[in-house]
Amino acid sequence: MTAPPGFSETNLVDPFELHVGPIFEQGEKGARRFGFRVEARHVNMRGIIHGGMLMTFADAALGQAAWDACDHANCVTLNMQSQFLAPAKEGDWIEVAPVLTRKTRSLIFLRGDFTVDGAPIYSVSSVWKILGQD
Amino acid sequence: MSDVLNTLPPGAENISLGGFNQFAGPIWRLPAEGEVRRFALVVADKHMNGSGSVHGGMLMMFADVSMSQTSRAVSGAKSCSTVSLTCDFVGPGKLGEVLVSSVRVTKQTRTLVFMSAEIACGARVIAAVTGLWKIG
Repeated sequence: MTAPPGFSETNLVDPFELHVGPIFEQGEKGARRFGFRVEARHVNMRGIIHGGMLMTFADAALGQAAWDACDHANCVTLNMQSQFLAPAKEGDWIEVAPVLTRKTRSLIFLRGDFTVDGAPIYSVSSVWKILGQD
Repeated sequence: MSDVLNTLPPGAENISLGGFNQFAGPIWRLPAEGEVRRFALVVADKHMNGSGSVHGGMLMMFADVSMSQTSRAVSGAKSCSTVSLTCDFVGPGKLGEVLVSSVRVTKQTRTLVFMSAEIACGARVIAAVTGLWKIG
């Protein structure tokens, strides 16, 4: 269950992300790609990745991107919209390159298209609040 | 687990029987109140983020499970698939709290179920969710 060449393990802090992880990354701050390998513990009774796991990966990966965008200030998810396009199964490598749509003084808008072998399986748009900024 | 049961409302039934449900759960089904179907999560250490609140991913997982269960219950289908889910994170949930997801069906068609869910601790709202499920 290893990552493709060029990916290294993302440094996670949140207990729930440590519980479901690891996740992996490639690239520089502000332009990182993230990925993870679907394991048996991530799937539902039908052998398909659980929606809850995809949304958790999205929150973790886009959270890393939000953290990059606000120079490592604390930020929290305000809203996340998820579209489930196609199933992924055990063994699949799921990848996303988060896109910063816009950043204001207190808000960050991020989106992401998640793929398996280049085919879209899941799409997200999200809003984040930078704590301490009105 | 008996400690957890003591904190739950009466009639709670564990529905996290395998796979990611079991790995991330447990999530409990509570007796319905009229048209509202209810589910519970007792916040444990593994569910937290680094700021001492329930992780957003776990809240969306909880919403997904409670709305999936509801779509199966109202449609009678063996399985239903999440098409879309939107979550507003309204406030933090804390360690040890009993969070209740209250699910309402907005509209059911032959192939789709539209739902909303509110996740709350008592009267304090934690998350407001809407979602669309495909039957079968």
